[in-house]
Amino acid sequence: MMQRPAIVGIGATPYYFRGTSAPQTLYELIGKASLAAVADAGLKITDIDGLAFYASGFEPGLITEMLGIPEINFASTVAAQGGGSAGVLDLAAMAIETGRAKAVLCIGACQQGGRRYGLSLANIALTPDGVWSRAAGLAGPGQALALVARRHMHVYGTRREAFAEVVLSSRQSASTRPGALRRTPLTLDAYMAEPMLADPLCRFDFCLETDGALAFVVTSAERARDLAQRPVTIAASAQAGSRDWGRAFFWFNMPDAVFTSAGAEPVARRLYAQAGIDPKDVDVALLYDHFSPLVILQLEDYGFCARGEGGPFVESGAIRLDGSIPVNPHGGHLSEAYVIGMTHIREAVEQLRGVAVNQIEGAEFALVSGGPAPIPMSGAILSNQL
Amino acid sequence: MEEMPARPDLSTLDVPMDAWTQPFWDGAAQGKLLLPRCGKCRHFRWPPGPFCPHCQSQQTEWLAPGTARIYSFTVVRARAGADQPPMHVPALVEFPEADGVRLLAAIVDTPLSAIRIGAALNLEWSQAINAMVPVFSVAAPATI
Repeated sequence: MMQRPAIVGIGATPYYFRGTSAPQTLYELIGKASLAAVADAGLKITDIDGLAFYASGFEPGLITEMLGIPEINFASTVAAQGGGSAGVLDLAAMAIETGRAKAVLCIGACQQGGRRYGLSLANIALTPDGVWSRAAGLAGPGQALALVARRHMHVYGTRREAFAEVVLSSRQSASTRPGALRRTPLTLDAYMAEPMLADPLCRFDFCLETDGALAFVVTSAERARDLAQRPVTIAASAQAGSRDWGRAFFWFNMPDAVFTSAGAEPVARRLYAQAGIDPKDVDVALLYDHFSPLVILQLEDYGFCARGEGGPFVESGAIRLDGSIPVNPHGGHLSEAYVIGMTHIREAVEQLRGVAVNQIEGAEFALVSGGPAPIPMSGAILSNQL
Repeated sequence: MEEMPARPDLSTLDVPMDAWTQPFWDGAAQGKLLLPRCGKCRHFRWPPGPFCPHCQSQQTEWLAPGTARIYSFTVVRARAGADQPPMHVPALVEFPEADGVRLLAAIVDTPLSAIRIGAALNLEWSQAINAMVPVFSVAAPATI
């Protein structure tokens, strides 16, 4: 019989402003998060027999040596970059469902040295078909996605006030969280007074750059019943994407209607079908917020409002803690920390355990999205309804 | 005098080329903007590559796309003290007669207030180490 997967342990290091986690190494951060996750689950590190990594991945041999994991039966890395963050849960789910592994440790971490993610388009090696960003003077994803934001404003009349509301809402949530890096509440006036970095985006629309590591333990729902925490099942997980979205802002030749989206519709379709729920059943949404306008576009892709209406939807207060679909009650990448989607998974689990700092009362289903980025993009629906 | 965007500094850009992008740069060297179209099903595609995504044919022909206009753009300003070029305007340029191609290119020689989505563009060129790179200015912008 197929085993339903459940998240039973979460662990995290503190979140550090970019470059301030030294002298700890990246693998030290990973080790701390991993040991914390295992302890949280009521397991031992020697119970782990599978590894699932996000982004460029890590060295399975090094991690098993370092932590004393005796033997692994499964190790895999998601194929995507920012789009794949929730994909670690998909990999772990596959390993558990098939019986390949009994307890999978999912790891996501980043530590930025000299090379900044925010200028990653300027830093990547030029290729014959990728030279255009450099030629046009686009240095980073935020500048590139400003092109999408402006087009959405042009086509649908979306206002800067909507971008501001995403940021203000995130900052409000982060203000109650001791570990968050941007906790001072922000006013609309202060937002509007901020100079543009990549018009129509100002500094506040850009996420943080953070050092940190998070880890999650996934096992079967059956085994989860005997462990330390209230289990959170992976009701659906997906890594998907359409050719029309392709390499996203490394390509920019999407069909018109897709250009002003976040590319997440294929993921959304799969998730809702697999979980057997509709957008109205989602109690809290953890949406990958590297840049504020992309939250609005994801709200449209995931069916929380109609296409083009994301701006007025957020301006109505819908994404606040008391709104119709609370978004990122942990403060997200914009205000809490940016560990490439991993903090969103942690918050989803805490919401469904009922222990979140900004708890959404009675939350039963949480949506987690990976970043609007080259495919495959990813997402998961988590639930505490076993 | 209204602010004008800077030209991107391409003096250190050595454009990598391969068999599929070479015709673009050969055209550029002669002052011609040429875009790839499938020789079989006649769909334009971008970037240049070995297959037509519509019919998978490898036959490719190169055509001048006619008029150009702004599909979207951003105005990039460096933070004080940041090691970045001065204010510049990366844009996505579309070609009504070459549906399916959006080219990333800088808008130059144009007052900021004239840079709008839909604005018709003139083609200009900027010198990289080994290639001429297309940049665009807004056609007949309103005088300030």
